[in-house]
Amino acid sequence: MIRKHLRAGAALAAAALTASAVVGCGSGGDDTIKIGAVAGLTGQFITAEVAKTAQRVFDDANEAGGVNGKKIEYIVKDDAGNPQRTAQVARELADAGVVAMAGSASFTDCDVNDAFYRQQKISSVMAVAATPKCFQSPSIAPVNVGPFTLMTAVLLHATQKLNDKNVCNFSSLLPGNEEAVKEALARWERLSGQKLKVNDLTVPQSGDLTPYLLKAKQAGCDAILFNPAESLVVPWLQAAKTQGMDDVDFLLLAPAYTDSVAKAVGGLGLNVYAGSEFEPFTAESLANKGWRDTVSRAGAQATAFSQGGYLSAKFLVEVLKTIDGDVTRDSVNAALRDMTPIEDPMLGTPWEFGPGQTHAPNQGSKIVRLTGLRWVVVDDTFVTVPDA
Amino acid sequence: MLQLSAAIAGLVTGGAYALMGLSTLLTYRLVAVVNFAQAAVGAFGAFAMVVLHDAGLPLFPAVLCGLVVGAGVHMGLGAVMVRWFAEASEGVKAAVTIAAFTGLVAVGLRLFGAQHPHRFPSPFDSPAVTVGGVVVTWTAVVTMALAVLFAVLPTMLLKRTRVGLLLRALAERPTTAELIGVRVPRLSLVVWGTAGAASALAIMIVAPQLAGDFGSQALLITPALAAALVGGFRSFAWTFVGGVALGVLQGLASTVVALQQYRGVLPFLVILVVLLWTRRRDRWDSMA
Repeated sequence: MIRKHLRAGAALAAAALTASAVVGCGSGGDDTIKIGAVAGLTGQFITAEVAKTAQRVFDDANEAGGVNGKKIEYIVKDDAGNPQRTAQVARELADAGVVAMAGSASFTDCDVNDAFYRQQKISSVMAVAATPKCFQSPSIAPVNVGPFTLMTAVLLHATQKLNDKNVCNFSSLLPGNEEAVKEALARWERLSGQKLKVNDLTVPQSGDLTPYLLKAKQAGCDAILFNPAESLVVPWLQAAKTQGMDDVDFLLLAPAYTDSVAKAVGGLGLNVYAGSEFEPFTAESLANKGWRDTVSRAGAQATAFSQGGYLSAKFLVEVLKTIDGDVTRDSVNAALRDMTPIEDPMLGTPWEFGPGQTHAPNQGSKIVRLTGLRWVVVDDTFVTVPDA
Repeated sequence: MLQLSAAIAGLVTGGAYALMGLSTLLTYRLVAVVNFAQAAVGAFGAFAMVVLHDAGLPLFPAVLCGLVVGAGVHMGLGAVMVRWFAEASEGVKAAVTIAAFTGLVAVGLRLFGAQHPHRFPSPFDSPAVTVGGVVVTWTAVVTMALAVLFAVLPTMLLKRTRVGLLLRALAERPTTAELIGVRVPRLSLVVWGTAGAASALAIMIVAPQLAGDFGSQALLITPALAAALVGGFRSFAWTFVGGVALGVLQGLASTVVALQQYRGVLPFLVILVVLLWTRRRDRWDSMA
């Protein structure tokens, strides 16, 4: 009998809570500033640490009194790496009344939602951008360098610092990124005055990669750029070791710059370099201090992705603070358009949103080298890719 | 010369395809199920091994545990098949395994991490020989030897032994076999278990060579089914040949500039040709 009452009570309480939540949603638009994010909390690409770190930044801002006396409410939606979900959650966020997006880390967000963000006049300060669309939209400005500028940066490192003469590219193309990859390679050719010895854009995302390494060996490549995901980097380097390619410089991009890659292939003793998106996350430098503190208080994994989450949230808070009066989509867009560029020691170039039709503010990368089972920063200055 | 070395390099992948193809054929021949989840089951066993090994268990017991996990997961799938789908058509059974594949991949990605690669121990990684400028590792030799074994053993078992005879009866006419006194459920569960352990072993051997994430390993089922198709879902020897030929062909295709982009499609073109050739005497109009 008592149990029955309890159950009825619980049901009533739940109903009351739901009702108040619904009412809260309806009227909450006035007393909080809503910021949204699309991230992969489940599925193939898990980017949970990005949203967690950004959440901590917003919590810190709220504890310090909020923005113009208002608290920030951060709404993170999981798209599970599924384009249909990506489109759906963006609409849910727009309906919830977000004034901007920050800390998004979804590989489909830009391609699926770019037009929707333009139409709804929502600006996104993206944490982890990986497709060309993210860098070609008037409403998206990523904080990370992105795979294309990074390609040019690591190639420049090979020609300028390692004096490699026969530079080769073995990349795989994902749907929609062919032009951007070709442009990144052409940019390096214009800047360095060299030509790629081998340019192979047909590397598959699965299977044995030995035939490609044999091709590189026969062509006499001293430096080999390789772009696929982390899971393919390990067999690539293992096969290279088997084929005795100890004197070649292997150039990798940010997805390869992880602790698990270092642990898996550090023992091989190959010359492996990677470009970092920000101040290298493995470096115990002063530049990383604020991020490291935040990420540990957030209880999130310290990765390059979480650096993106930290910076995007931090930059947006700084911009929000410049707004006088109501914080709405329009006032946020105006503030982002007119903002003064923000210098941050974690970035090689200042970050700004600005009025442009495209945004790729971060053009600087540091180069890390696999030394033993750890990634070590090679040169303490950022390689900034010049315009060309 | 580059073609020759690429072809030799392709033998490793070919061996892997053959191994998975033969495991799939084994399940089909013995319990009459086209199992789309075969590679996913193998990957489950292999990742269980890696996780235990990473946690400090020595390699040999970890491998044993991995084989047990592979066998267990496959027996679970087998139990579902025997209990609810024993009388269902091959199409229905195949559809059930596709559902199992989707489920296993989702659970596998969750359990073993989607992003960061695991380091698979590769005890046979040392070079065995150098042929045509290609260093061939012991892994390649072991893969090939194991594939030959996978091809020869079931053939011998089915043709020469009494258990083989019972198994053939089980696959062809399960109900009749049960009526004449064959203990169908028990026997088929043993078969499911063995095939599961075999796939786990196959994946453990080839995983260090290929992308070390759960999704890629589970997708090995595509070339495996292709190899089994070359064998007409009957012949172990031709499945072996099909698997190896697929690997070599992919290696070769990567050296021909005009073909590079179509590398992934090429094996399927070959299968089409093989199927058309083997079916050339069929009168297709009379089959309808």
